[in-house]
Amino acid sequence: MMDGTVKKQPKPFANPYAAGVLLGVVLFVAFLLTGSGLGASGPLNRYLVYLEDKIAPEHVNRVPYLINYAGGDKNPLDNPFTFLGIGVVAGGFLSGLIHHRLRFETNKGPRINNQTRWLMAFLGGILMGYGARFARGCTSGQGLSGGAVLSVGSWAFLLAVFVGAYALAYSLRRLWI
Amino acid sequence: MGWFPEFPGPFPIEAMYGKVGLYLVAFLIGLAFGYILEIGGFGNSTKLAAQFYLKDMTVFKVMFTGIVVAMVLIFGASGLGLLDYNRVYVNPTYLWPGIVGGLIMGFGFIIGGF
Repeated sequence: MMDGTVKKQPKPFANPYAAGVLLGVVLFVAFLLTGSGLGASGPLNRYLVYLEDKIAPEHVNRVPYLINYAGGDKNPLDNPFTFLGIGVVAGGFLSGLIHHRLRFETNKGPRINNQTRWLMAFLGGILMGYGARFARGCTSGQGLSGGAVLSVGSWAFLLAVFVGAYALAYSLRRLWI
Repeated sequence: MGWFPEFPGPFPIEAMYGKVGLYLVAFLIGLAFGYILEIGGFGNSTKLAAQFYLKDMTVFKVMFTGIVVAMVLIFGASGLGLLDYNRVYVNPTYLWPGIVGGLIMGFGFIIGGF
């Protein structure tokens, strides 16, 4: 702040139903303009395969799943999802900036330290990445997008995510409450 | 037969504006998606995890409102002939991979907080 005033208070979050309506409209616009929905693990997957192709191209050229993305001269980043992913980060940052919510922080329950939280975040991230590929999509690509176009598999997936999370929540409550 | 048979989406953006046009549209859609997730509170993992301790139902409200609104718009537009549903990507169903992968992601959500 140039004028030396106190850091502005973060603004409250939007009404969840209003945010949900906006989310639905954006999801619809995505389908209307591009024919496919939104995604989060799709873009991340492409960034990773790009790195993998730089480090171990022989491996990429042997695995059918990876060949599909980066076999031979194929660039896994040459895809709209690459830019969707960049947009998501930029959009979240922009909103954080506008609503004074940008800061370095470690979100965790009061009973654990930052180190535990970071370790668990890493372990959880591995599971999220593995599960998303296993299920052919994450909560955005498989759940949200597939759910909106009434894919049976997507609804089974969504249900499984909530069942899994609720099933484990009590045992790991120390992490969050 | 729809009301606007001359404009059946999804729009062929790549054919109309080339790859750059398509990538720009994807970026703008992502920008809106990220912005909306942030205003909904999805940038805070404590808030997200609170869903599973029944202390804050934001995840549920935002996600399912979003799904229902998009669903109504998609099938409404399809009924009006604005959107050709046959050209919309519908995730193919792989039931068990979806269920097992979903459970793994649910575990990951509680452990990792996202």
